[in-house]
Amino acid sequence: MRYIALRIGQAALVLFIAFTVASLLLAILPGDGVMARYANPELGLSSAEIEGIRADSGADEPWYVQYWIALTGFLRGDFGYSVQSGAAVSDLIGTALPSTLALAATAFIAAALAAVVIAVLATYGRARWLRRVFDSVPSVFISVPVFWFGIILAQVFSFQLGWVSVVDPGPVESLILPAATLVLPISAPIAQVLIRSIDEVRAQPFVRVSQAKGARPGWLLVHSVTRNAALPALTIAGLVFGELVGGAVVTETVFGRAGIGQLTAQAVSSRDNPVLLAVVVLATLGYVIINLVVDLLYPVIDVRLRSGRAKPIPASRRIGDVDAAPRNRQEVAS
Amino acid sequence: MGLGLGAGSLLALSACAAEETDVATGGPPRTGGTLVYFEPQTFTTLFPPQAGFYPNGGIVNNITDRLLYQDAETLELHPWIAVELPEVNDDATRFTFRIRRDVTYSDGSPLTAANVVKNLDLYGLGDKSRQLPPSEQISNYERGEVLDEETVRFHFSAPAPGFVQAVSTMNAGLLSDASLDLDSTGYGPGQSGRIAASGPFVIDAEEIGTRLTLRVREDYDWAPPHFEHQGRAYLDGIDYVVNNEYSVRIGALVSGQADGVREIESPDEPRLRERGVQLHAAGTNGVNNGLNLRFRHELLQDLRVRRAIIAAIDRESIMRKLFTENYPLATGVLAESAAGYKDFGDAWPHDPDRSERLLDEAGWTREGGSGIRSKDGERLSLRVNTAIPQPRSREVMSLVQQDLLRVGVDLQINEGDYATQNLDAEYLDRIQLYHSMVGRADYDVLKSQYSGENRDVLLNLDEETQEYGDPELEELLGRIAAEPTEDRREAASWAAQDHLVENAYVLPFFEEPQVFGFRERVRGFRTEAVARPQFYDTWLAE
Repeated sequence: MRYIALRIGQAALVLFIAFTVASLLLAILPGDGVMARYANPELGLSSAEIEGIRADSGADEPWYVQYWIALTGFLRGDFGYSVQSGAAVSDLIGTALPSTLALAATAFIAAALAAVVIAVLATYGRARWLRRVFDSVPSVFISVPVFWFGIILAQVFSFQLGWVSVVDPGPVESLILPAATLVLPISAPIAQVLIRSIDEVRAQPFVRVSQAKGARPGWLLVHSVTRNAALPALTIAGLVFGELVGGAVVTETVFGRAGIGQLTAQAVSSRDNPVLLAVVVLATLGYVIINLVVDLLYPVIDVRLRSGRAKPIPASRRIGDVDAAPRNRQEVAS
Repeated sequence: MGLGLGAGSLLALSACAAEETDVATGGPPRTGGTLVYFEPQTFTTLFPPQAGFYPNGGIVNNITDRLLYQDAETLELHPWIAVELPEVNDDATRFTFRIRRDVTYSDGSPLTAANVVKNLDLYGLGDKSRQLPPSEQISNYERGEVLDEETVRFHFSAPAPGFVQAVSTMNAGLLSDASLDLDSTGYGPGQSGRIAASGPFVIDAEEIGTRLTLRVREDYDWAPPHFEHQGRAYLDGIDYVVNNEYSVRIGALVSGQADGVREIESPDEPRLRERGVQLHAAGTNGVNNGLNLRFRHELLQDLRVRRAIIAAIDRESIMRKLFTENYPLATGVLAESAAGYKDFGDAWPHDPDRSERLLDEAGWTREGGSGIRSKDGERLSLRVNTAIPQPRSREVMSLVQQDLLRVGVDLQINEGDYATQNLDAEYLDRIQLYHSMVGRADYDVLKSQYSGENRDVLLNLDEETQEYGDPELEELLGRIAAEPTEDRREAASWAAQDHLVENAYVLPFFEEPQVFGFRERVRGFRTEAVARPQFYDTWLAE
């Protein structure tokens, strides 16, 4: 219990720091939302009129005043209003979030499945060439620019083959191409770590013991290897949340999907600081929650971590440390 | 999200998409169907005075009616909500309109004389407390007055002859009383359902930032009386879909998922035409796309330097390299079809030798073998903005950069997104050469572009001292908006253009069109006088 309280305290600190850093960075950026909206030459306003609007809307206050107003607002749960549209930021986020969550969840599940398939084929594939091909898949995936890949998917599967509509898709149809685009950057790191740890776990003595006792490869994979190899992969899965957020910006822009990513892209180009701050805090919150869940999942998967006294090892230090685990306490003695 | 992906290669990719099979039916317009229309950007506000921004105007133009209708080709004004052209007093300070009484707004409220006055009061004066600026097209507005149920009169503190045309533009689109009470937020994205106007289309649904749906107004029966087409529009609705990514917009058009796309880039024109896409280039009838030399900057104060810069730039070669015949080379400060056009066809010959001579005379020399000229230790280095809404501004400026380098002038191209460009453009020390254009089919357009009261693209007005660098220019521009008769306004416009050209303040490049692409089945597409789409007559063939 004390552990969870500590983690929540940490999370609050992380949120505060993220908010402050984001505020500072946005303050340094030239221009503000009012300038971006009204200094548009196509509106034909003179600079005196624009100055008037800035003064009326409080955009000419010094940054620390604006920071204080925003911070106290956030603490009260009031995210303020978009400079661009005047809509309440909480409404904007509220409408955008479900669609992004659906996209992120679909993409993540698909990516996790893809990662498992790639890793199994790369390690247990029948032919040597097959293993080699799949071993190199993660590096290929991670080098493909998401933006470019999204456009190619749209061109091929929508505009050429006509399988899915980009312009007027149904709710499920609209998820297919964006999620497929996101599978690449998300599945790659998970698959890579999974391959590495399967290899490492397979080389461990307890696996040999089981093998010697007559366990077949399939049984071994499911009962001994997977469970042990899953830990580092789980850690990485928590870390790829960042990719998910960045990827949403790109895919939602390419496919014209309403969502947090689209909202972010438009807020950046219109210097809509209240929206950007809320997005930063939201993304940080997501990151913190996911990594907390991952940390709490460790003991569920790995009995070695269940002892009452021992503190779970922080996520950041758990990548690929299977070798470091004590070797005399394997539970798969059969 | 502007990755420089070659759209050409992507088009080639979709080379085996389903061919368009529709052929001209030749029959009468068909009623029905929804048009899917792609916009590169989402609208920012539906407040009519701010409809100048293309995405805003594309919507406002189709949901609002105006007192008068301006023919896009002849620029002639016709009655619309006003039953006849207004009575104007001799010094153009009083305008009396008689209005139709059978018009209703989409929220059910009637369009009355009092409502028309309420509209123009807001557009003419703005409302600071609601952050609603006045229309840049209406100057010297004093008040409106209801004379009787069908007559309204507008009073001006000084002659305002441009007002008659101003009430025909989408910037004076009429709204219901309830819509006029909204504040700046109420006109913004996410709130569009609250806007009630009397036009042929009504806002139906909005997905913030990605989609806006219009549906036809079934009982619409007040099209401009001189139109052959009366009654409801042919289309059942219009879907404005926003997508930032050019290759996706073009791919959607070619594959038939979209019916129309605004902003076709000139290199793609031939390929699209081959694929059966109809291209529609509409002129913007205003100040041509060109380069403005901000003469108050110390490097540009010398007329010889300004002339040298203009002589160094090879306009014809730029046009040949970057644009198609849809982009006519400018022959004046204004487009040929614009009100007040004057031919300056021979004013800007490409003459690098003359340019070098002028710079030598002005004391700018190439010292120490460096390519850039300098004087008293100062380099002749200037910075130009990238006009993001203007077609291929970046490419045009790179060619200008090369031309200027040949005569020893260094040109820096300002980087940054739209907001950054607009911000930098306000400062003389950041931007000395300003690339821009503006569309409006009235003499006043010149004032809109150059006056210190409006866009002031030359930064003639010094914000600190409130003094003009060239008071004569400001006075000439003021006259365009204040002369009461047509002849005298034209004369005033010509005088101002002469002044701009003689003093080498501007180098016009081309008459900027807005190029639309439509699938073959789309018929009857038109634009209003400054190239915003007008879907009233548009229909979809079988």
